[in-house]
Amino acid sequence: MALLLQVLANGILLGGLYALMALGLALVWGVLNIVNLAHGAFIMLGAYASYYLFTLLHLDPFAALPLCMLALFLFGYLLQRHVLNLIVRAPMFNTLLVTFGLDVVLTYLAQIVFSADFRVVNPGYAGANFALAGVTLPLVRALAFAVALVLTFALWLLLAHTRLGRAVRACAHNLVAARLYGVEPRTVYALTFGLGAALAGAAGDLYGVVSQFNPYIGDALTAKSFAISIIGGLENPLGVVVGGLFLGILESLTSLYVGPTYTDVASFGVLVLVLIVRPKGLLGRAT
Amino acid sequence: MKRLLCYGIVALGLVEPALAEQTITLGASVQETGALANTGRYYRDGYEFAVQRINDRGGVKVGGEHYRLALKIFDNQSDVNLSVRQYTQLLTQDKVNFLLGPFASDYALADSSVAEKYEVPMIEGGGASDQIFSRGYKYIFGTLPVASRYFESTVEVLTKLDPAPKTVALVYADDAFDVAVAKGTRERLQNGGFKIAQDERYSSNTSDFSSLISQTKASAPDVVLVAGHETEALNFIRQSKSLDFSPKLYAFTVGVPTADFRHALGADANYAFGMTSWLPSAALKDDYFSNAEIFAGDYRKQFGYDPDYHAASAVADVETFAKAIEAAGTLDPKKVRDAIAQVDFESLYGRIQFSAAGQINLPQTVVQVQNDSLVPIYGHKGFINKPRYPMPAWDKRQ
Repeated sequence: MALLLQVLANGILLGGLYALMALGLALVWGVLNIVNLAHGAFIMLGAYASYYLFTLLHLDPFAALPLCMLALFLFGYLLQRHVLNLIVRAPMFNTLLVTFGLDVVLTYLAQIVFSADFRVVNPGYAGANFALAGVTLPLVRALAFAVALVLTFALWLLLAHTRLGRAVRACAHNLVAARLYGVEPRTVYALTFGLGAALAGAAGDLYGVVSQFNPYIGDALTAKSFAISIIGGLENPLGVVVGGLFLGILESLTSLYVGPTYTDVASFGVLVLVLIVRPKGLLGRAT
Repeated sequence: MKRLLCYGIVALGLVEPALAEQTITLGASVQETGALANTGRYYRDGYEFAVQRINDRGGVKVGGEHYRLALKIFDNQSDVNLSVRQYTQLLTQDKVNFLLGPFASDYALADSSVAEKYEVPMIEGGGASDQIFSRGYKYIFGTLPVASRYFESTVEVLTKLDPAPKTVALVYADDAFDVAVAKGTRERLQNGGFKIAQDERYSSNTSDFSSLISQTKASAPDVVLVAGHETEALNFIRQSKSLDFSPKLYAFTVGVPTADFRHALGADANYAFGMTSWLPSAALKDDYFSNAEIFAGDYRKQFGYDPDYHAASAVADVETFAKAIEAAGTLDPKKVRDAIAQVDFESLYGRIQFSAAGQINLPQTVVQVQNDSLVPIYGHKGFINKPRYPMPAWDKRQ
């Protein structure tokens, strides 16, 4: 029983990390209809930003969070404004090709600039933990979970209750009507993509405290984020949290009851099931 | 444009015969980019360094004539399928004389089939899995110790510790190498009278071990043996700390001997046991580099980082070709193959002599991180230094 509780707690905290990773991908996908295959590479860049801020400037990764987000926001904004906007209304295949190319370029540039050596961000509290009702909770994962919830809530507020958020949603729902009401899609798209990149930056910032990273972590992260977005649905940022938690708990229980070698089988198996049974995600309207 | 093309063809024509003169080309496909680039570089640099040094020492003598060694290396981008295509290309289009291996068992397993098919010998220093050498292939030779015996010396240490550990958890990745390690270790543990508290296989490239560690913690083993990749060992140690799990001893197949690993973990690397088939000792004499200690210094000067057993193994592969070709007195692949099977010489890596299956026998030295530096603990002659055991709990460490 104690073990089951511990494994459930592990799963929930892992789910928080997953949600943080997938949030940006789901936003960009939902609004721009771009499946950003370079999303994992953005997370990788965020991790390196956090690493250098920590090792060179001794800036704590949690303090560096806004900086990483800002850096990735600017990067994402410029990228959408000057590159991706050119193909945003082209068939989806083109956007896949372009973001795939971007992923390759970023990954190999990262190897040239940062080398293939693996890195970690190792502040003094990286291994700290606390006990709660007999369950050991790693401090950093608990904090990352909180960050994921705060960012999701902030994103939800932004989308639901601000003028910018309404413009973003309007572009996703009906582009012509949005333009008639004076929304400038070029800017809105760039802001949205920048926001998605900023969320990847936040995930990357904390990634290095939890795990090792190197220029090649991106693809696996993109795949996982992709699965979470589909499972959770794209309509609502809260769906991503649900998707992340679902996957985190599922993988942890699979590891406990079936074996740790089958975690990917379970998570991608569920992805296929969701696509068949509820193609709009667990929280999406059933079709 | 046409004229340019003509010049190009003429230029090629001029260069070709000069290159073709008296060279023996060794072909290889290694991981220069991709997830395994961090270790792949040891092979690229090791091969290059050895070829360069052998040429500086007059090259290779074949039937009274001097030949220079040349190297043709492809980057397989950490993709097994690409590496198979590249080895095929090396033999069918580039017509290299002999093959050097890739890094990692999965790659060597697939690539050795190309060598076998075209009957050209491959000497590889990057794949240890028993599977590579259990298919009756005649053209594959390996200079890493046998995978199933990786934990042999560590298990010997376990039998000599006080207080004696009784229960062991075995955790391993699901690739060819680690499965082979686990199979051999399981038998050894059972023969040694240990109780296997847990026996878990995880998928390669796992980054989250929290549930696996919680399970292991619940079964409270004295010892945890981990057969996985360097990045996984790193995550395993960090996540053990964050889940407050410290067995009396944990040991890892890879990672512990490399400087990168200790640098990334800092003080958290302390007490971790590992193993290495090679330490840069002056006692290891070599015909080309005088000895292993001098080799390590020269290597560091040239490439800017310390060599580990991967690099030494790579150098031994090239040296083995040089020795075998000289002994065969011909470049005929079949005769050179027979000569490789017969070699027996001392190198900076250790004694090179292949078993009938094609693998060398090299004992693993057990090492441990103590006070942030790597200390040899146990070799084939017994204890070298005192192990720090049992490992203190995380909150009891300085």
